[in-house]
Amino acid sequence: MIHQHFMLVDPMTVTENITLGNEPRKWGGLAVDRRGAREAVVELADRYGFDVDPDARIEDISVGEQQRVEILKALYRGADTLILDEPTAVLTPQEVDELFDVLDELTAQGKTIIFITHKLGEAMRAADEISVLRDGRKVGTVDADATTQEELAELMVGREVLLDVDHGTAETGEVVASVSDVVVDDDRGVRAVDGVSFDVRAGEVFGIAGVDGNGQSELVEAVTGLRTPDAGEIRFRGEDVTTASRRQRIEAGMAYVPEDRQDRGLVMQFDLVENGLLGSQHGAEFAANGRIDWSQTRGHAEAIIDEYDVRPPDADAEAESLSGGNQQKFIVGREFERDPELVVASHPTRGVDVGSIEFIHERLLELRRQGVGILLVSSKLEEVQGLSDRLAVVYEGEFVDVVDPEETTEEELGLLMAGERPGDDGGGGGGPEGTASGDAAETESGDASETERDGPADPTNAGDGERA
Amino acid sequence: MSDAPADRADDDTAAENVERETLFERYTTRALVAGVTVVAVVALLLAGLAFPDSLAGTLADVLTSRNTLAATLRLSVPIAFAALGGIFAEKSGVINIGLEGFLIISAFGAIYVADITGGVWIGFAGGVVASTLLAALFAVVTIGFRADQIIAGLAVWLIALGLAPFASQVIYGSPNTPTVATSPSITVPVLADLPFFGALFSASPSVYMLFAAVAGSWYVFERTAFGRWIRASGENPKALDTAGVSVTRVRYAAVLISGVLAGMGGAALSLDLGQFTGNGPTMVNGKGFIAIVAYLFGNYNPVGAFLSTMLFAGLDAVQTVLQLQGIGIPRQLIRITPFVVVIVVLALVGRTRLPEAAGDHYETED
Repeated sequence: MIHQHFMLVDPMTVTENITLGNEPRKWGGLAVDRRGAREAVVELADRYGFDVDPDARIEDISVGEQQRVEILKALYRGADTLILDEPTAVLTPQEVDELFDVLDELTAQGKTIIFITHKLGEAMRAADEISVLRDGRKVGTVDADATTQEELAELMVGREVLLDVDHGTAETGEVVASVSDVVVDDDRGVRAVDGVSFDVRAGEVFGIAGVDGNGQSELVEAVTGLRTPDAGEIRFRGEDVTTASRRQRIEAGMAYVPEDRQDRGLVMQFDLVENGLLGSQHGAEFAANGRIDWSQTRGHAEAIIDEYDVRPPDADAEAESLSGGNQQKFIVGREFERDPELVVASHPTRGVDVGSIEFIHERLLELRRQGVGILLVSSKLEEVQGLSDRLAVVYEGEFVDVVDPEETTEEELGLLMAGERPGDDGGGGGGPEGTASGDAAETESGDASETERDGPADPTNAGDGERA
Repeated sequence: MSDAPADRADDDTAAENVERETLFERYTTRALVAGVTVVAVVALLLAGLAFPDSLAGTLADVLTSRNTLAATLRLSVPIAFAALGGIFAEKSGVINIGLEGFLIISAFGAIYVADITGGVWIGFAGGVVASTLLAALFAVVTIGFRADQIIAGLAVWLIALGLAPFASQVIYGSPNTPTVATSPSITVPVLADLPFFGALFSASPSVYMLFAAVAGSWYVFERTAFGRWIRASGENPKALDTAGVSVTRVRYAAVLISGVLAGMGGAALSLDLGQFTGNGPTMVNGKGFIAIVAYLFGNYNPVGAFLSTMLFAGLDAVQTVLQLQGIGIPRQLIRITPFVVVIVVLALVGRTRLPEAAGDHYETED
């Protein structure tokens, strides 16, 4: 079993992790045979062609390498069947390719692999046979070669879904929020965001793509007021809010869909009435003179439940009794009902079922039509690419580039997400002119202002490969 | 466009600098403390040589006297044993702030058993058993019933703090027990005659047992599979569980070992004097808490914990000797040194890295 969250002990070495629980012994069990363990790991890695350093500490190696260590751990125990649970969630597209190579090698050597994913493209690519589960039941098993993504998606939601979000063109208004040269350190004091600048205009979706852990969380926390930036300035509706409190920002019209709904979005032991009040607890509407108006609050929660299709429709249900998708719809509803000027949505559809994803996407685009500025952060390429009007790619705390998502292929985005700057690989065709990125360019961070991009080499094939 | 690569390079070096700085901080703070200590001691000794009649001279005499070393070792024994026990528990993910209680209960238990049987070593074993039983209670409450570890640890301390003097009152009619026989110190011929380090070779048996326990603990953590399981259990218990090792059993074992080691410290403490005194904070008097400071300062390394214990105990020993010579440093001032040190270390340096899962209950998913 390869879990979505790795079962590794960070301060221990690769060898120690792989052999944990099954250490080769010597001296009658009184000591670990460290040389023997290392040799076994090296031998195993060679046999399957894995590239890992047996002496590196887990905390020092890349996520892709950690995943290979997880697989080696299972192989070391003589596994013949490997279960991979959402293995690509944290990988760059290049690392995903490496993973698929590894899987090919393993199946070639006679191992059985069960690959759990909610990404249709991956299922099609990795599997020979695909079973679809919905609501705890298996709804069908199909042959990967004889099916299409649309057919799979239909099986998953029980009805046809529009894979391509109808997006329309942006009618952008004035700048709602502007971030300039913001520098943020993370909890360990390591620089997480290193001089990022961008503007979000009314009526546009500004997307930030990137592999998790490249500073997105810290940037979002700085914008929403959960973390004070170490340098730079954040302006919201013309006012400097760099040091403004969270409450001031909420009251000024900044809504926030947090990335971890159980941690920041909801109080899991509270019912939906109480959760619906969160963030508005100072407002005169629900809590005049310091007393909470419960009937008003209940009405508010019920309106959200109704409007945003939260199931079960029971305002007295505790938040923890809801499925992830319904929790998320409730949070989205609560935040969108504030009449915000700016919505900061951080991974709004992470771990959410396809039906809810579709719903949340539609709502986001509806707000955009109403002229709300949206800052969308997601590690799902198809999401940020499909929804954004302008798309920044972040790598190690900096924007590698800001691109027009319509004009950019997934391969190009993949390279950007891996930190390869445009022009590094002999960028060919001239940059497109006059598109949305044209006037956007003036507001972008300095080093991305004159972008050169590869001409879309293969526009037909690109994009639809991974859409889900 | 042209300056973009240059920017990148600058950023890279900046990142490296940050990295280097943190590495520097991480690995040299303790070295720095040790270095400053050594320099101060050497300077003092030189000053002492130059002006034998000054205060520096007196201090230098005190520092080089084998009595100071002997006193330091004697004072170190209970603290270092408790610190080793604390390392075992906390590395496995159970924060054990009940060490003080283990010391108290074993100090009394050892004297009581020694008194009724007449055997010092049987008394020693009795102390260890008493502390291990208390550790078992602590383990059942925190691991079995998932009580809060800090609350349970405080309860262990308070139970022992009340129980030991009470039992003494009931049995002997006073919080202080009568005295029992002590074991003679073991002297290694020839080596014991060395000028300063001779104190290492003419000490009570518990000192030698401490040396063995420090070495043994280091070996367990660095070389055995069980040591790795303890580490994994404190860092990422899920990983250990997934690997097919019971986290619960590892934690039980670690807490029981913690009780055994602390029990050895407590028994050694009281049997060294031949008496248990139960007034006020009892004869243990905060040694269990200093032990926690010692292993934090020693970064969960048994040898580091031992050396920091020696540092704290050394200060105490010097203070005692100076008092006898009429140079009074208030005892209370010396007493708080370890706590001041740990606050400075933790607050300013903050590089002692607690095990990731310390203090968390492990819920098996069944």
